[in-house]
Amino acid sequence: MGLFDKLAGWLGIKKKEVHVLCLGLDNSGKTTIINKLKPSNAQAQDIVPTIGFSIEKFKTSSLSFTVFDMSGQGRYRNLWEHYYKEGQAIIFVIDSCDKLRMVVAKEELDTLLNHPDIKHRRMPILFFANKMDLRDALSSVKVSQQLCLESIKDKPWHICASDALKGEGLQEGVDWLQGRQIYSILQVLVNIELYFLH
Amino acid sequence: MSGSENKDINEVNSKWLDAHYDPVANLYTFSSCVALADLNGDGESKLVVGDLGSGASNMKLKVFKGTSLMTENTLLDLPTGLVAFHMDQNEPRTPAIAVASGPFIYVYKNLRPYFKFTLPPLEVNELEQEVWSQAREDKIDPMSLKEMLEGIRNKAQVPLSVRSLKFLMLEHQDMESFVNMHKQQPIRRQTVITCIGTLKKNMADEDAVSCLVIGTENMEIYVLDPEAFTILSKISLPSTPAFMDVTGQFDVEFRITVACRNGNIYILRRDSKKPKYCIELSSHAVGLVRVNKNIVVGCTQETLHGCTQKGKKLWTTYLPASIVTMGLMDHKSRGFQAVLVGLANSEVHMYRDKNLVNIIKTQDVITSICFGKYGREDGSLIMTTKGGGLIIKILKRTAVFDEKDTTPGPPVAQSVKLNVPKKTKLYVDQTMRERENAVAMHRAFQMDLYRLRLTAARAYVKALESNLTPMSSSASEPLKMNAVVQGLGPSFKLTLNIQNTSVCRPSMNLAISFWYDEKLYSLKTSFFKIPLLVPGLNYPIDTFVECLSDKGISDVIKVFVLQIGRSNPLLTAHINMPVSEGMALC
Ligand SMILES: Nc1nc2c(ncn2[C@@H]2O[C@H](COP(=O)(O)OP(=O)(O)OP(=O)(O)O)[C@@H](O)[C@H]2O)c(=O)[nH]1
Ligand SMILES: [Mg+2]
Repeated sequence: MGLFDKLAGWLGIKKKEVHVLCLGLDNSGKTTIINKLKPSNAQAQDIVPTIGFSIEKFKTSSLSFTVFDMSGQGRYRNLWEHYYKEGQAIIFVIDSCDKLRMVVAKEELDTLLNHPDIKHRRMPILFFANKMDLRDALSSVKVSQQLCLESIKDKPWHICASDALKGEGLQEGVDWLQGRQIYSILQVLVNIELYFLH
Repeated sequence: MSGSENKDINEVNSKWLDAHYDPVANLYTFSSCVALADLNGDGESKLVVGDLGSGASNMKLKVFKGTSLMTENTLLDLPTGLVAFHMDQNEPRTPAIAVASGPFIYVYKNLRPYFKFTLPPLEVNELEQEVWSQAREDKIDPMSLKEMLEGIRNKAQVPLSVRSLKFLMLEHQDMESFVNMHKQQPIRRQTVITCIGTLKKNMADEDAVSCLVIGTENMEIYVLDPEAFTILSKISLPSTPAFMDVTGQFDVEFRITVACRNGNIYILRRDSKKPKYCIELSSHAVGLVRVNKNIVVGCTQETLHGCTQKGKKLWTTYLPASIVTMGLMDHKSRGFQAVLVGLANSEVHMYRDKNLVNIIKTQDVITSICFGKYGREDGSLIMTTKGGGLIIKILKRTAVFDEKDTTPGPPVAQSVKLNVPKKTKLYVDQTMRERENAVAMHRAFQMDLYRLRLTAARAYVKALESNLTPMSSSASEPLKMNAVVQGLGPSFKLTLNIQNTSVCRPSMNLAISFWYDEKLYSLKTSFFKIPLLVPGLNYPIDTFVECLSDKGISDVIKVFVLQIGRSNPLLTAHINMPVSEGMALC
């Protein structure tokens, strides 16, 4: 691992955290999810609708994440795009009970995917079909159908059903995200090695 | 409904997202019976509908949350109007629902029946009362009761009660039992509510306490106290109100605009007991909406009029179909207001002043329109259809409506001063010349005109002489022909329809010849005789044309109708062949 560390250090990956954008409509549970991922002593008790955005940090076994928890309210959604450039991954949260606004979530997702700062980048997107604990929640399969996720061909993505109040399903998602980040770092290393070999 | 149809509709309306469509939601209602309100105080607006049902008995008060029905309460009679309003200062600030139906207003709090208001009884005709009291004492029999009531009906100032009117409609055998059943009860005369609105009491806040304002069949408007439901104010109108808009505050200053059944709009103010302004419409009103300070009224003549709140007409727009319903689109967070007009051609038109800014095509005719916050979405458009369907659309966050010229009055261009140059010497000379030589100039013009006509006539004659037209002009053989090409290629079917247009002379000895590029097309026979043509009948003649080229080119095939023994064709047709889309067979 000596070489890996050296290279990682040289690339600046080790010190720099992974920047994640947390997006989704208002009331979908973004803040609740991020809060649950923080160490239990740092968790907030009351969660109020986010105004503008807030920056949160949490660590997993091998990476540390800096999350931009954006407000999902209509009047703040135009802020999202200003942070696209900095984001290295996206967490997109959907309220699986809000059937009426599934079209709105899809519209925002499509706008996001077609944004010039996102469109040609292979950044991973993690979807949380949140509030799965509620009785009339749609399954993650239904949610991915309604959002037409299968049409996302040029970006790695993953969807998990989650219950942010109990924290269920969150770990699965974060593990996937972490795997994706390490995978992309390794890919960079392989490319560098190939470069030196030639 | 097919998916492709849906897609077409979507493309036209790219400003709206289709959130929900249930063609069998079983909702039969009008705009006056639909409201959006945060009934539970949880920040999620619910849809409240006074459903008229489809039979005589299915009237319901329905509440929808998201895409599903949350609760329903049975209504005793057809609802004529429904409003959500705050009747007290209690926390949490949840609105009550008032449903107007017959002479009653049913008030619901937390979706439970809370209070029933009854309109005050009307004055009863004294003679009528007298007659019925005689009937009660069995002094008169039903037949004479009927005669006397009829007499009263025909000349009395005060109209008869519903009971007497019902009695007068009965058959002879039913009269006795009706009298016996009703004679003990006192006579009551009551009117019914035709429209309902709300008026803030003394504060302008969104959730301020509001009075109910009701219009009645007997041409009156009442303002009711929000808590005690006593009558705070009563205003008489010259006609029965049908549509109403209320703005302002009861204790400060308010304005009630009513469209009445006599085709007039009256504007009432706080300080006057009589209508302050009157707008006479050329046809009956079918909807009334206030946008900012102006009134927009839809009429039966497929027109939309804009008026000021002082009754001055500003503009008129003509619509492509008759109006079924109207609603206000008030997008508060964007400060955008417009009028939504549901038309009989299954379209909803959005107007800003007189400008049409958007058209929404719907699957069925829209009977009710309500725009506002539904669930958590500010820009929700709720519509119900004639067939009982429910349509929910959400305005896209990025949607903007083209602002055309919205300033009322003449277009801006009209008031721009033109930079008219000074009269030059040349101009003055020209005018002088024109004045002096007017006759000569006119003659020169006339001469040129005749020359032009002559040239045109010559060209026409030439065309006729060489029979270049598909109408034969020769008096002896009047013929008409047209050609139809069928098929995608390389084989085409060419059908020539030939008709003898003479009155009684059959055409004989005719033949048809084709001229075409032999490198491009092949025809089985390029010359054949045609049978005797009976006058008036249409003779379809089929031939098959094979296209020999696969290069996607096409050419003209000329058809000549010839008479044996004559060198000139009777008529000529040029057929522009279509490009062969199939592969050539060679
Ligand atoms: N039942 C249930 N409720 C949830 C879940 N996740 C979040 N909530 C509730 O949903 C509400 C909104 O959660 P937030 O985390 O504030 O939502 P948000 O996406 O951050 O909203 P904005 O900041 O306005 O964009 C809160 O009342 C949460 O308690 C879940 O998994 N199940
Ligand atoms: Mg939040």
